Amino acid sequence: MNTDLPPDVVAFADSARHSLTRLGGVDLALRTEVDRDLREPVSRALASIGAFELDVRGDLDELLAGAQLCRIAGAVALAWPVVDELLSVDGARLALINPAAPRVDHGDLGGEWVGADLDGEAHSLEFGEPRSRAKLGPFLMPASLGPARPPVAADDVARHLVLGSWRVLGSLEAALDQVVEHVGARKQFGQALAEFQAVRFAIADASVAVRGLEELAKFTTWRLVTASAAHHSADACALRLHAVDTAVAVLRTCHQMLGAIGFCDEHDVSVLDRHLQPLLRLPVSAESLALRLVPTVEAHEFETLFS
Amino acid sequence: MDYELGDAAQALRVRLRELIAQEIPPGFLGAFSANPDDLALTQAFCKTLADEGLLCLAWPTEYGGGGGSVWEQTVVREEMWAHHEPRGAQYMGVNWVGPALMRHGTDEQRAKHLPAISAGEVIWCQGFSEPEAGTDLASLRTRAVLDDDGWLISGQKVWTSYALMAQWCVLAACTDPAAKSNERLTLFIVPMDREGIEVRPIASMLGPHHLNEVFLDSVRVTEADVLGKVGAGWKVMRDALAYERVGIARYARCESLLSRLQDALVADGLWDALAPALKSRWVRALISLRVARLLAYKAIAQQNEGIDPAAAAAARIVTTTCDQTVAELLLEAAGAASLDAGPDAPIHGAIDDHWRYAQAATVSSGTIEVQRILVARSVLGSSR
Ligand SMILES: Cc1cc2nc3c(=O)[nH]c(=O)nc-3n(C[C@H](O)[C@H](O)[C@H](O)COP(=O)(O)OP(=O)(O)OC[C@H]3O[C@@H](n4cnc5c(N)ncnc54)[C@H](O)[C@@H]3O)c2cc1C
Repeated sequence: MNTDLPPDVVAFADSARHSLTRLGGVDLALRTEVDRDLREPVSRALASIGAFELDVRGDLDELLAGAQLCRIAGAVALAWPVVDELLSVDGARLALINPAAPRVDHGDLGGEWVGADLDGEAHSLEFGEPRSRAKLGPFLMPASLGPARPPVAADDVARHLVLGSWRVLGSLEAALDQVVEHVGARKQFGQALAEFQAVRFAIADASVAVRGLEELAKFTTWRLVTASAAHHSADACALRLHAVDTAVAVLRTCHQMLGAIGFCDEHDVSVLDRHLQPLLRLPVSAESLALRLVPTVEAHEFETLFS
Repeated sequence: MDYELGDAAQALRVRLRELIAQEIPPGFLGAFSANPDDLALTQAFCKTLADEGLLCLAWPTEYGGGGGSVWEQTVVREEMWAHHEPRGAQYMGVNWVGPALMRHGTDEQRAKHLPAISAGEVIWCQGFSEPEAGTDLASLRTRAVLDDDGWLISGQKVWTSYALMAQWCVLAACTDPAAKSNERLTLFIVPMDREGIEVRPIASMLGPHHLNEVFLDSVRVTEADVLGKVGAGWKVMRDALAYERVGIARYARCESLLSRLQDALVADGLWDALAPALKSRWVRALISLRVARLLAYKAIAQQNEGIDPAAAAAARIVTTTCDQTVAELLLEAAGAASLDAGPDAPIHGAIDDHWRYAQAATVSSGTIEVQRILVARSVLGSSR
């Protein structure tokens, strides 16, 4: 067994991280809330690192490279719908939606969009005016369903869920890094917060949760390429559900450990948290994801040592 | 044993709901919005409450209060919080500045400030926290330097809620850096328009007005501005915060929001399709909220007995945790429209509003870790 990411993928991730951080990192995402034109340089940077040439429907390395790109996009709260773009269908960005009330992050970017539900039912999407400044999911656009389109492949939906989960992971890692730094530096009662057992335990739990999510993300990505197609949807759904649960818990810890400063717009954790919300809530709630997995479990198809 | 709040308290609840229905629009989310009309609305509502003697119901009648029982006060706290605090920032003045003035203020201070608070005419802010002094409040650094005319205060406060709206501030400063930690501080009553005070708002996920920085540059204060005695600031602060023992009646807002969302989901035909696990969480949340309410009642019932110092901390831990549990539940249950904000969103945008503000429930006015330390100390004894 080898649980490491391939060296090529790591090298690509390093260069992507370097270029997206240099572009402005989380601060750029915050500024983009008031000036949406700042997405222009993001798109150029993505093009320059070859993001749009990645074939995430291809082999494991390509998929993993896409996954690392999404992870970095999460770490800097990149104001770009990277997952939707990586999984474009005939040049139209692919968003996962709840057809009852479609909402799409960065739907105002223009170009063509396809919205698919988790079963792959697809429509063209139409957008109106951007919402006035909302704090949670500031780039989220209400959409309406246009003409029906051919169904989206189940594997595309699965890869979408998985790449989105990598994005969640990236945000959580970045948030936790910030918190670790903060509790090491901030002193109360004459000692660093990191000296208090309550703080240590909270950070330890968050760290365990993030490590677990990372391993599940790697395993699930590998399974998408190696396991039989019948398992892909359930594996992807399971990863996303776990990503959401982990995110809610880890972000809670991050805020708690930061105290008041973590709520400020100026603080990266506030931006990471707010910008991540659409991925955590949409296209369906965590409980709905869990319900989708029940039949898989009932059919003894959920991968365990005994399935 | 009798859990009835009493006829007077029940009648009060009915009256408060009538007044709220008359004066507060259904989509009201509090005074702390970008819309100045919301502040105006709360100021007008405070006048209405003051006219009926309900604004300072808890205060003794001699200070313009209604002499209400603790259970009537509880009803006021619950109804106000449930309806997005239509008193706006007034609760700061009503809940602790007023009582602190009654106990520690001079005759002149009482005569000047109490009628204004009980008439709903002024907004107060609390200048305690500093960049380096959060949980460790006693170590705050803002300095009040003595001279012939009194003191000159210089330093910085942070997180000061409503500082831009407030006319007055209770400011904590260090008058004697060499003194023992419980004798270093003094509280001053300072008008916010005094020379040398600058307020800068802090943009935050909680929304406008909740967080500000206050810069103090040689702000002149005199003996007449001291609240309590010089060097007794820590004692007055602790005493004042004791009025806030059980804290905000957060459970009341949670119960109201769950009830409103349930009605909205039923009306839209969405309730039946809600994931069974969500319904089960819903039920559990309601049970936890009931527990939170009962723990608050227990702490209030013991208010004057001082039996169990952990009672208020326990109530706070449960109610602030419920706030966050319910915030998650509301977002999930609202489905695809859950992240919509503003008046057209589900239940007038109250879900987004609640989720954002609930994040701070376990931090503001005493973090949950501090509450846990208090409970642990009561159960296990002191760790040192
Ligand atoms: C919405 C809001 C409104 C506020 N309004 C006001 C106001 O009007 N006036 C005012 O003066 N202040 C106000 N505050 C500030 C508030 O009182 C502080 O945020 C609070 O005391 C915590 O301080 P801190 O944010 O600096 O966190 P820190 O003290 O830095 O704490 C960070 C984390 O470390 C933990 N920690 C610290 N010490 C220990 C320990 N010994 N053991 C275990 N854990 C520990 C804390 O519990 C917390 O989880 C407000 C805060 C908020 C969020």
